[in-house]
Amino acid sequence: MDATILFLAQLIVSSVIALAIATLYSLVLPGIERKIQARIQQRVGPPILMPGFWSVIKFMYKARTEPIAQMPRFYKFLIGFGVGVVSLLFLFNTPYWWFMLGWGSILGIAGMLKLEEVIYVFMGSQSQSIMSTSMPVPDTVRGSKWPNIRREFNEQHSAERSLKMMLIGSLPLYLALLVPFIVAQSVNIGSVVVTQNPAYSPFNSWLSFSLPTSPILFTVPGFIAAIVYFLGFVVMLNEKPFTILKAKIDMIEGGVLEYAANLRAGYYLMRNLLMFALSSIFVTLFLGIPFDPFMPAMFLMNMVLSLMLPIALSVLVAFSPIFTFRQIYPTAIGLSALGVLAMILALSI
Amino acid sequence: MTLKSTSRKKAIHVMLCYTGGCNGCDIEVVNALLSPRYDLEQYGVMLTWNPREADVLIVSGVVSWQMLEPLKKIYSLIPEPKAVVAVGACACNGNVYKNLVGDIKVNEDVYAPVESVIPVDVKVPGCAPRPEEIIQGAVKGLPKLMGAP
Amino acid sequence: MTEANNEKMIEKELSFGPVHPALIEPYRIRLFVNDEIVEDCEININMAYRGMEKLFDGLPVEKALLIAERVCGICSHVHAWNAVRVIECGLGIEVPPRADYIRVLVQEFQRITSHLIFFGHAFEVVGHETLAMRALLLREQFMDLMQYVGGNRVMPSVPIIGGIRPRADLTDSLKKTILERCDAFEAKYAQYVQRILDDPLVISRVNGIGLLTKEDAIKYHATGPTGRASGWRYDLRTEMKEYKPFDFNVIVLDGCDTKDRVVDRALEVLESLKIIHQVVKNLPDGPVVNRNWVAKEMPFTTAYLETYRGEVMHTYGLDHQGLVRNYQIRTPTITNLAAMEHACVGDHVTEAILTIASCDPCLTCCTRTEVVDSGKRRTMTDYEIVRKYGWRK
Ligand code: SF4
Repeated sequence: MDATILFLAQLIVSSVIALAIATLYSLVLPGIERKIQARIQQRVGPPILMPGFWSVIKFMYKARTEPIAQMPRFYKFLIGFGVGVVSLLFLFNTPYWWFMLGWGSILGIAGMLKLEEVIYVFMGSQSQSIMSTSMPVPDTVRGSKWPNIRREFNEQHSAERSLKMMLIGSLPLYLALLVPFIVAQSVNIGSVVVTQNPAYSPFNSWLSFSLPTSPILFTVPGFIAAIVYFLGFVVMLNEKPFTILKAKIDMIEGGVLEYAANLRAGYYLMRNLLMFALSSIFVTLFLGIPFDPFMPAMFLMNMVLSLMLPIALSVLVAFSPIFTFRQIYPTAIGLSALGVLAMILALSI
Repeated sequence: MTLKSTSRKKAIHVMLCYTGGCNGCDIEVVNALLSPRYDLEQYGVMLTWNPREADVLIVSGVVSWQMLEPLKKIYSLIPEPKAVVAVGACACNGNVYKNLVGDIKVNEDVYAPVESVIPVDVKVPGCAPRPEEIIQGAVKGLPKLMGAP
Repeated sequence: MTEANNEKMIEKELSFGPVHPALIEPYRIRLFVNDEIVEDCEININMAYRGMEKLFDGLPVEKALLIAERVCGICSHVHAWNAVRVIECGLGIEVPPRADYIRVLVQEFQRITSHLIFFGHAFEVVGHETLAMRALLLREQFMDLMQYVGGNRVMPSVPIIGGIRPRADLTDSLKKTILERCDAFEAKYAQYVQRILDDPLVISRVNGIGLLTKEDAIKYHATGPTGRASGWRYDLRTEMKEYKPFDFNVIVLDGCDTKDRVVDRALEVLESLKIIHQVVKNLPDGPVVNRNWVAKEMPFTTAYLETYRGEVMHTYGLDHQGLVRNYQIRTPTITNLAAMEHACVGDHVTEAILTIASCDPCLTCCTRTEVVDSGKRRTMTDYEIVRKYGWRK
């Protein structure tokens, strides 16, 4: 009994600490991303804290406004839901959750990621921004060839695109996620970490730290899987080149168009935390360094190493155009094939 | 300096609404905001195309009758506090389109200045204003944003 | 084909604009799509309508030129130049050769800035921000030169009737600066173009979309680089007397797609550089303006000029007091956009917008009054009314 209560207390305290650190840290990431892009583009670029931290605080202080949506309350609820999903996704990756049956495992992570993707479909089908069909300009001319056609909001089109992306675009990420688990021959994150980092245990003393002895990243299947994971990460974040569902040039921002003030702050929090969560999961699974909120050395190492993906992302973003479905389908299929290859190779380890 | 006003000073999202001048101002604004030489982002100003995200609306050009409603609507959708910057002689006083007309004296086809449509806080005159002046204008709107409740 | 087969089923419509990141200028695109494929397209272009032609009516001709320059901010020099060419043709005003050279010089400066703005915009639409930024950075050099020559980055106001403004005359030090800048620019620009052509991702985005055949280009009268990229050899510069002294090539490509429309402009910039070099090297001496003219009654006169996007036409007459009457402008974008409306059918939505952007639309130029011709009744333009009934006295 006592052990259970102690464990629960540890779980709650560690979750709170982990979330606080992760949220604050994740607010720096977009700044770093923008800065690197700006330097590649030969300009000074924004101050590091501006796109993340200050923007979020500023949006918090803006006057609340009602979004224009089919079901405004549901639309607003989606942001809270999204933040919750992403927080859980991140927490599953921290050690105390590994002991919760089925949650600190591939199932928990994959489930949360799938939910996160579904949110965009809902957002897209809800939002009804002024920027497309409902713009008050006289555009239905008398001589039009298609007078009574169904006019769709851009966001709805974006929702359709996100369905497609869910079907095919995100497949590589899941395939790549599987590889470390295949190598460890277990579904628990705990065993994946221990396979790579035998000295590590969440019950070590808080000052201790242990370096991984055999990171999966440095094996052949692990390396292939890491590349696939990275591109899957880009797909999941809807960044260029896979930004079709909220491509600036036709969908403007997709389903999140109508979020204003505090809701927009929530959206930024969600997106930034997702970016950090995915990079942190990468470091946990492929390098065996978990984000343990009770061991400063471990979580600092995790945080520093998890900069890898955002930095690679910003370089990719700076050098790639937006892909249309003409390019996305072959890319996703190729990546999935690579992922399968990595899985087969992993079986033979 | 409270956290509120600091955050408003450090992160500004501007939206460009081009309502029908000659395109010169509009290109200069995009140029000032985007091009590496005048990079406005280094001062913490970001270009956005979503009224829900914006703090500052940059209007350039006289308002043609078809753009009247969209402009009002976009302005009304920006959450408070907001500021409007009128860039260019067109937006400030109507320029040649409103005033320099022969037989028809005053051009009723266009709504100018922009002030007659939505409240304007900062005016940047010039045809076309230099990018430096546009940057200065963007900065001038700051106190209003920062002092807002 | 039966009737039923001809009738397309269309699922829905998507509309963009007039305030939109891909358009910037106010116009509205209505795409009729099935899933992602564009089946039909309609572009509404009247959002920047300022009653331009009416504004000119009854103005003294020098004042009218001020307005003419403000038709468009990207091609301001074109309109100013063509407006003076009309009256120079109509009243037979001699233009000193030095003035003609400098007009050509500013025209080519602006052609380069305009094409680079196009790259900036097109790559923004492709989604490649870095290439867009590089284009805008390269453009700044020519904006500077324009400021040195004309005194303003956007509205250089160089031409006046009978020549150019004396302040726009080239001094020796300015000549040197221009040559230096052009050489520095040329090296960087060549790298930039090579970088675009070598980028497989970008090329895969623009290659093979937005097909506009030569027949269609001629049918829709898609002039300028848009038509030339479809293999239509049509460039007014080869016929203009102002361009006689210069040696340059007309770039004609026959890929007919968006990629060639981009490449055509990229190569044209190099030709413009050639012309600039020739202007600065062979600049004749002499006066820059001929002030021996009086405004008097002038019949309708038309002047055509090859702008950066195609062919522009200005027409007006002067009444007995020397006031401008019945100004008319026809700009290339109006025909180019119609061609693009046709060309973007069959592309994906994202590509269709790129295709439309690839004709370098300039909406402020193209928003004009139109002749309504519905087969049975035809509304007369002012021009025809005056032809028939004479001046309003
Ligand atoms: S102020 Fe001048 S440059 Fe700006 S839109 Fe008006 S006419 Fe064009």
